[in-house]
Amino acid sequence: MESITILFVLLGLMFILLGSGVWIGLALMAVGGFAIEFFAGRPAGDAIATTIWSSSSSWMLTALPMFIWMGDILLCGKLSEDLFRGLAPMMGRIPGGLLHTNVMGCTIFGSVSGSSAATLSTVAKMTVPELKKRNYPEPLIIGTLAGPATLGLMIPPSIIMVVYGVMTNESIAAINVAGIIPGLVLALLFSGYIVLKTKTMKGYAPTPEPISSLAEKLWASRRLLPVFALLFVVIGSMFAGYATATESAAVGVAGSFFLAWMQGTLNRESFSKSLMSATMASAMIALILAAASGLSLAMGFLGLPEALAAWVGSLNLSAFWLIMCLLVMYIVLGCFLDGISCVALTIAIIEPMVRQAGIDMIWFGIFVVLVVEMAQITPPVGFNLFVLQQMTGHDMFKIALWSFPQFVIMAGMVFVLIAFPALATWLPEQMIPVRV
Amino acid sequence: MAFVTLDKPAGKSLRGSMLRGLRFALDRLYLWSGYLAAASMVAILVITVVQIATRYAGINIRGLSDYAGYFMAASAFLAFPLALNRGAHVRIELLLGVMGRFRHMGELAAFAASTLVASWFAFYSCKMVYVSWQYGDLSTGLDATPLWIPQCAMAFGMILFAVAILDQFLQLVFTGEHSIVQSSGIE
Repeated sequence: MESITILFVLLGLMFILLGSGVWIGLALMAVGGFAIEFFAGRPAGDAIATTIWSSSSSWMLTALPMFIWMGDILLCGKLSEDLFRGLAPMMGRIPGGLLHTNVMGCTIFGSVSGSSAATLSTVAKMTVPELKKRNYPEPLIIGTLAGPATLGLMIPPSIIMVVYGVMTNESIAAINVAGIIPGLVLALLFSGYIVLKTKTMKGYAPTPEPISSLAEKLWASRRLLPVFALLFVVIGSMFAGYATATESAAVGVAGSFFLAWMQGTLNRESFSKSLMSATMASAMIALILAAASGLSLAMGFLGLPEALAAWVGSLNLSAFWLIMCLLVMYIVLGCFLDGISCVALTIAIIEPMVRQAGIDMIWFGIFVVLVVEMAQITPPVGFNLFVLQQMTGHDMFKIALWSFPQFVIMAGMVFVLIAFPALATWLPEQMIPVRV
Repeated sequence: MAFVTLDKPAGKSLRGSMLRGLRFALDRLYLWSGYLAAASMVAILVITVVQIATRYAGINIRGLSDYAGYFMAASAFLAFPLALNRGAHVRIELLLGVMGRFRHMGELAAFAASTLVASWFAFYSCKMVYVSWQYGDLSTGLDATPLWIPQCAMAFGMILFAVAILDQFLQLVFTGEHSIVQSSGIE
């Protein structure tokens, strides 16, 4: 049968299964099995079982639960409170005031937790009531949260980057390190928007913060030091080649325990709570990844990705237009799927195409993370919108409208990344490889 | 609803108490499987820390990273059933939402299909363990572990996962609703 027909049949099957509410992992598994059995004409079960076993028991994957756990331990502590109290005096007098605590808080917490929804709910719990108390306009409070919270995906350590690294066989450490500069640039853009918006907005009059001296600011920020130190060790050890991604993640877990113990929040309850929630979260991702490896086996048997790559190659599309097409595809896909499923579903199919176009896979990883970030705040399925809807009681589409400027900023960031690819690729090139 | 509900009524009849016993046993099984998964997470942490320590001490323990991989698989598969009941696994309910009065039927179909896929995969996971055992397959890594041992975790986890989905499907059939906790996603 024609490749294109097969592709459409499989896409149709996937659409029906996903749309009717079959769990995403199981739907991918079914499509993979169906493709091998009926289109490749081979017995599917045994092949898929051994493939899923070897991908699920890979040592590379162990970075995943460790990074999740590290975030969950700190989540159980007093970090969010400390974060707000440490940041507020510093941000108080900048135009836009405490709205910047949203961005800064998300940047720091995004690094700690490596996921977007966890970042969002933790930061929002702290800043939304405080900002409301000080009369900041609500559309701005919420609008400046949804976007920056997605920095959790970009700023290392990041869960989705582990997923991408495992799927493309690229170095997990390198991709994580690559996210640092684009993440910080994005945070700056978000902050810049707040300054512009609050300067030009009519009727913007929040209660000003008391003026604090430099000494007071520094004293207040002492609470942030332990977290900074931990992040420095975790990211630094990956960068300097002292540890692989998994090892630095394990150091992160140990360090988080140490911090929690120092704060007095480490007890049996917080230990088991963090452990169980990390186990559940990592299982959810592992199911999708396992299924995705089955799906990529099927794709390999059918030769679909190569056919697609050849077809795209025959179009003589420049790398720029290929990226534009993929951008549109991810935005549409991101409206219905969560980020990790987006990556799991697409990478197996488009990887040969992207490599053939001569696009750097580390750069492409950052691009994918960025577009997946955008997907977090697009209705009708945007996880950050869900979280904010639950927390604030506002309608999801209203929240999406309030965060639309953030969406535009991220779309702009895609073009910045295309114009200056070194933003993503320079730092990983400076890394020192691990001596094993 | 005219159906007999699974958990409460049915009175003091033998069938009722058997169902309650089954309910209790299954919930325990899901929970303990989840605990084993959590213990595997701790094992990954310990192994990785030992690995760092031994590397800097200049000692070489063979196949440590392979063991970490086995515990990775165990921590994932053994946690599937509990993750299902706690609403951690993601699915799209968009289309179901617009199906109106057909929603229940759509949901039934989705649960039935899910049960089918999970059972299919559970069967082949078991077959893989059997084949590994029969041929005495050893790991290709430095650890040279007989593969059927760690693979058991995958087979057991998948069986229990399929059972858990079937369990939810039957609850949906007989009581009209499943007992999966709503969650906003953990990503």
